[in-house]
Amino acid sequence: MEKELEQISAVPGVGGSFLCDNRGDVIVSSDPAVLATVTMNTIGREVGRAFVALDAAGQLASRIEFVYDGWRLLAQDIGDAVLFVVCQPDTSMAMVRMSADVVIGGWRRDNAAQKRLQRHRAERSSLVSRAALDQGSWSSWAIIQSRGS
Amino acid sequence: MPEGLTGSLAQLPLTDLLRMLAAGGQNGRLELTSGLDTADIYLAGGAVVHAESGSHWGEQAFLRLVAWPNGHFRFEPAVPPPDRTIEKPLDVLFADSARVAGEREAMRRVIPSMDTLPRLVRKAPGPSVIIEAADWEVLALIDGEATAAGIAADLGVDDFEAVRRLYRLRLAGLIELTAPQAVPAPVRPLAGPQFFQALTAAVAAALGPLAEIIIDDAAEDLGFTRATLPRDAVASLAERISGEIRDTGKRVRFQQTMLAMLRQAA
Repeated sequence: MEKELEQISAVPGVGGSFLCDNRGDVIVSSDPAVLATVTMNTIGREVGRAFVALDAAGQLASRIEFVYDGWRLLAQDIGDAVLFVVCQPDTSMAMVRMSADVVIGGWRRDNAAQKRLQRHRAERSSLVSRAALDQGSWSSWAIIQSRGS
Repeated sequence: MPEGLTGSLAQLPLTDLLRMLAAGGQNGRLELTSGLDTADIYLAGGAVVHAESGSHWGEQAFLRLVAWPNGHFRFEPAVPPPDRTIEKPLDVLFADSARVAGEREAMRRVIPSMDTLPRLVRKAPGPSVIIEAADWEVLALIDGEATAAGIAADLGVDDFEAVRRLYRLRLAGLIELTAPQAVPAPVRPLAGPQFFQALTAAVAAALGPLAEIIIDDAAEDLGFTRATLPRDAVASLAERISGEIRDTGKRVRFQQTMLAMLRQAA
C-alpha cells in the first residue's frame, strides 16, 4: 500500500498522503510522513465524523475537499478507511482525484491490501459515541441525527 | 396580513410590497436579506417610520434598500420600531429614491467601474474653484495611480460615496477619468490535435464508438472546443470523461492512461 501512495505523491504539488481507519488511526502513510502521526489521527477522526454526519443528514458523500490558504486536503472515503491527500493550493485536483481513484482501484483488487484493511476494520459510528464527543459536538450530532431520521 | 409573510424581492419588488403594507395600515418589522446584507424597515400605521441597513439608518438606509434588485423579505407584524428616523410619507420617499436612482445612473455612465483612474486636469476650469471639503480629501489622494476603488478604501467610505465625490469633481471640470486598461489574458498553451488523437483512442477503448461525441461534450461542459482547450484543462477533461465510464476496471485503466499522458506532458 505504501507503493501506491507513492503514485499519488508523484503528482506535482502533492505533499503526501495517508490512510486512516474508521477509528481515525493511521493504517499507512507516505514516507516521509506529511504530518505528525497525532495530527493524521486527529484529521482521520474528525473527517470520519464528518462523513458519518453527512450520511446521517441524508447527504451521502464519498469525497470532501478542504481548501485553506496554504494547502488543500482531499479526503476520499473508501468504506473501511479514508484516504487523505495533502496538496499545495495550486495543485491540479483533477489529477489528484484520478490518482486516488487509480490507487483505490488497485487496493480493491489486491488481496494483501484487502486483508490489511480488514485487520483495521471498525464501524465508523463509534466515532460519534457520547463518550467520544464533547458536549457541543454531541448536541450538534443529536440535531443532525434527528433531522436525518 | 398573514403572520410571518415571506417572499422574494425579485417576485414582489420592495416598492410594491411597501405599498401593500401601507394600504393595509400595517405595524411591524420588514426584514430584508440580500446575500450577506440584512436590513430592517419598520412600519407604524402603514407609514415607514424607521430603516436600518448596516451602518446606515433613516432615509439614507431606506434609499439604499429601494435599490436592492433582489433578495428576500419577511414581515413580522406588531414589532415596534426601536427609533423613529423617517417622517416623510411613502410617496415622497419613493420620489426621492427615483431621484437618487437617476443620479446613480448618471454617475454610472461617467464612472462605470471602480477601476476607473482619475487624474487632475492640467488647466483649471476657471479663475477660481470652490469645492466641498469632502471632495478636497479625494483630490489629495489622486496621484495618477489610485483607482476609484483605491480612493474609496483610503477614505474609508463605500463605493457609492467615493463615486459621488468623483462625479462632482468631474462635473466641476477638476478631474478627468481614464477607463481601466483591459489586461490581456495570458496565453495558455493548447492541448493540441495529438492529445485529442490519443484521448480518442483511450476513450474509445473504454466507451466505444461514441468517443468523439463524449469528448466534444465534455470539452463543451468546460467551456472549450477541441481547438480552444488549453493544456492546463486536460486533467479536468480527463476526469470529466472518466466519470462517464461505469465499468470500474475500464475507468481505472482510462485514468491510468490519462495520468501517464499528463505526467509525460508535464
